[in-house]
Amino acid sequence: MTFFNVIRWIVWKDLVTELRSRETISSMVFFALIVILIFSFSFSMDQQAAREVIAGIIWVAFAFTGIIGLGKSFSAELQNDCIEALQMVPESKGAIYLGKVAANFLFMFIVEILLFPMFVIFFNLDVVEEISWLLLIFLLATVGLSAVGTLFSALTVQIRAREVMLPILLLPLVVPVMIAAVEATKGALNGDPLSMYRQWLELLVVFDVIFSVVSFWMFEFVMDN
Amino acid sequence: MTAISCQGISKSYGHYEVLHDISLTIQQGECFSLFGPNGAGKTTLLKILATLQRPSEGRYEILGLDGLKEKETIRANMMFLAHGAYLYDDLDAKENLEFALALRGQTPTDRDMKLALDRVGIGAFAEMKVRNYSAGMKKRLALAKAMLAKPKVLLLDEPFTALDSAGTEIMREYIRERLSENGTVLMSTHDHNKARPITSRAGMLRLGSLKEISLKALKSDDLF
Repeated sequence: MTFFNVIRWIVWKDLVTELRSRETISSMVFFALIVILIFSFSFSMDQQAAREVIAGIIWVAFAFTGIIGLGKSFSAELQNDCIEALQMVPESKGAIYLGKVAANFLFMFIVEILLFPMFVIFFNLDVVEEISWLLLIFLLATVGLSAVGTLFSALTVQIRAREVMLPILLLPLVVPVMIAAVEATKGALNGDPLSMYRQWLELLVVFDVIFSVVSFWMFEFVMDN
Repeated sequence: MTAISCQGISKSYGHYEVLHDISLTIQQGECFSLFGPNGAGKTTLLKILATLQRPSEGRYEILGLDGLKEKETIRANMMFLAHGAYLYDDLDAKENLEFALALRGQTPTDRDMKLALDRVGIGAFAEMKVRNYSAGMKKRLALAKAMLAKPKVLLLDEPFTALDSAGTEIMREYIRERLSENGTVLMSTHDHNKARPITSRAGMLRLGSLKEISLKALKSDDLF
């Protein structure tokens, strides 16, 4: 019971502190808006070219905004040495991990939901029929990103150059998730039948399970060392 | 019964040995004060006993539990009040108490929290964000957390720093209360005058080595 309570309280704490400070979500949204603007101006003359690469642009924006959020997830715990209090929680550290993953997932998914209409407007996308599949793709890829990103956020938090180290360590690992997300998003945006990009969705599920289980298992070691 | 026992604890950071062959036994109901100049290794020793750091050598037991193998049970029975106070600036005092205790599996009532906050003298600021607290108020809030947690073993790192004379007395009163309930306190401090009235035994940590000192020595002004 305490295990699930710890998860609930970690999510509550992260959401309340974010609602009051608005540091993480505002910086994520700001960064993503700049990415959208730059790409939309780059492709303003050639809408066809934009359609070819829009899935990649979406996931570049989502991945890098996600990294901003993930980086803050544990660096916020350095305030008043709160990370030590988390280390001393008399419960499996897996509960802290799951709480942090849930909070990170929520932040990233909320930002994605806020930003996607911008992509639709700036790149003139027709997504009405495929919106449920797109949301599923966003959800699955964001689970993978937050599962492995939370672990690496904890791993790099005590390093002096953590802002640099987090993307350097994380991005190569999430390449499979990114490729699957881009391919599935491309299929959905093109209006392809599900059977043509179903394998990418299945791949996302497989990576989510692998990343979540391995990260959950490793988190205890990371927090205790 | 022995509450804290360590044998041959050493800790090195690279080639620099911070603690050298520390052996110490503290019985339940005792308050052991750890003195020493800056950089003597007091905080490192407390962090090892708080299960936050692993010793390079040696072993220790808290309440008869192996410090390297039974961390979770030790953590449930111990509390460490460190310099950082472990408080979230964007939460208010009550929320900080609720959160910290919930992670320990405890659910304090509103009344309990109010009583604890009143006792440490910050009841009027219960709904103020900790961001706006002074260092002394943060220390008092951390003390309220310990009051509600009622740990069997209390580790205190410089407990009197930032506290005014009223705050110091509240801290001492709480330590006396823990001792009367057979709790154990290990604290590091520079202030032997403030620590003396509640100290059962004392030790001097110098260049990583610990030597027990008499309570009489605490009266000396040139302790360091």
